[in-house]
Amino acid sequence: MRVSRMFYLYRRLYVQQLKAILEYNKDFYILMCSAALTQVLGFVFLWVIYDRIPDINGWQFWEVTFMYAMIFVTEGVGSLFFEGTWRMSRLVNLGEMDRYLLRPVPVVLQVFCTGIGINGLGNMLIGGVIIWQSLIHGNVHFTPGKIFIILLLLITAVIIRVSINLAANSAAFWIKNAGNAFPLMVHNLADLAKYPLSLFPQAIRVFVSTVLPYAFISFYPATYVFGKSGWSGWWMLAPVAALGSMAAAYGIFRFGLSRYESTGN
Amino acid sequence: MSIIEARGLTKSFVQAVKEPGLKGALKHLIVPRNITKVAVHPLDLSIETGETVAYVGPNGAGKSTTIKMLSGILKPSGGSISVNGINPYKKRMENAAGIGAVFGQRTQLWWDIPIVESFSLLKDIYEIPDHVYRNNLEQFIELLGMNEFIHLSARKLSLGQRMRADLAAALLHNPPIVYLDEPTIGLDVSVKQKIREFIKKINQEQQTTVMLTTHDLGDIEDLCKRLIIIDHGMIIYDGSLSEVKSRFARSRVIFFQVGSPMPELFAELDQTPGIRLTLQNEQEFSVAFDRYEYTASDVVSRVMRHGEVIDFRMEDANIEQVIKAVYDGNLDLNLNQQAQ
Repeated sequence: MRVSRMFYLYRRLYVQQLKAILEYNKDFYILMCSAALTQVLGFVFLWVIYDRIPDINGWQFWEVTFMYAMIFVTEGVGSLFFEGTWRMSRLVNLGEMDRYLLRPVPVVLQVFCTGIGINGLGNMLIGGVIIWQSLIHGNVHFTPGKIFIILLLLITAVIIRVSINLAANSAAFWIKNAGNAFPLMVHNLADLAKYPLSLFPQAIRVFVSTVLPYAFISFYPATYVFGKSGWSGWWMLAPVAALGSMAAAYGIFRFGLSRYESTGN
Repeated sequence: MSIIEARGLTKSFVQAVKEPGLKGALKHLIVPRNITKVAVHPLDLSIETGETVAYVGPNGAGKSTTIKMLSGILKPSGGSISVNGINPYKKRMENAAGIGAVFGQRTQLWWDIPIVESFSLLKDIYEIPDHVYRNNLEQFIELLGMNEFIHLSARKLSLGQRMRADLAAALLHNPPIVYLDEPTIGLDVSVKQKIREFIKKINQEQQTTVMLTTHDLGDIEDLCKRLIIIDHGMIIYDGSLSEVKSRFARSRVIFFQVGSPMPELFAELDQTPGIRLTLQNEQEFSVAFDRYEYTASDVVSRVMRHGEVIDFRMEDANIEQVIKAVYDGNLDLNLNQQAQ
């Protein structure tokens, strides 16, 4: 199927979903505010720590907030546009995947459009502001090339985030109960990448750079943006990590789908 | 080649064996024990273009599993399928474009948006040309009486309305094949009638191949010329509906209302092999007999010899009784060779 057609169908399905949400979700603002509040609290927490200690392992306040906000922004994009991955256990366990399998549209595309997490908007907004402020306060020397690369890193970060969500939620094909425990655990491991990788032992560094490449969402981009010597060059692997996680996630999803058993009747 | 063809098609599921209670659950956690349950034994199936086939069997016989394999939802455990000339599981999207499906238990529509918008989404999904879409929509709205609810969202519809909308949704893109899995479940008589007429019309006008699973025997008698009965995952009958009726629906019942009690007749009939007497009261009774052994006039004249008959009516056995007998295990069809 042509890519342009996929985008078109995604947009069509997404807008319909959005209409439905705007009509029924009266807790729209509450959801958005609670997401924003969570982030602001985290930000305040960092601020309190840095108020006492000027730097952690050579990392300044605004450099850490950048990483912190990257995790949140990508989560926001994930919620807003790819929330459906979190509905997979429901789709699988109630046999609702049947409906998707009957339509001549890629299943993964339909999964993405199954839901919209409006709270993602709050995450993106506050996260965006923090990134903006980090860049301003972080003594970053901007050139057009640098801006381009930052945008590229943002895109790869989103791809990695969504791929990990998709892969983790594909566990629904194996774990046949309606809970989200496993993907939530995987999701929470992203917390590791909110702080400089150099704080952690080797094993964890390798883990969040390869198995769950969260470090390519926050840490490696930060080393590039703030010009951290000692890590120079590693950020260039971000596109590789993005393509790799995308391929792996899709493979896991397809393999899971072949195990799909529907439900009795 | 037939439009739907399956050879040695089989499906088995792995099921966890858990002993009851918390102890059993814990035990399963540590030492999982699984058994493989065969839902569909290797089966062969050929359906030609334009056929209307009833696919029936008791609950859990493997009907839905077969349909789900044919429609590309489930991956078969073995065997081969060809639908419209392609393998529905391997080429899922291509297959999906050429079929329509209604699963009565579950809607294909978007829950929160108006039916008419669901339809327009389907138009884009199936890339239905404008004129085809307009014609079909207009025709379907009229045939299925959808005007009153087309602007409501699926969640607000009654079951009967939803089912009509689902049927329309499944056929908007003029699929050459349509699978209907219990399309009339839980519906009232008038909606059932509408749906049956609609299916009949589509089948006649467009040569749409219809495969129908149902527990409603009215659906079968109304719509289908061919009957396939599946039980315990195996096809136990595949042949024409009229043949199974004439072969197995042998019993015929006559209900009598008579002027005075007839004790001698009752005694006599009770003695006669092949005749079963059921008394309602002294003056109303029914006589069931094998219509290949006795004729109706035999029975009626026997009764009339004993007194005045005020009224009588006759009922032929229907497919319902045949299938019920199969379900109950009382009738061994065992006639694959005979039927084919």
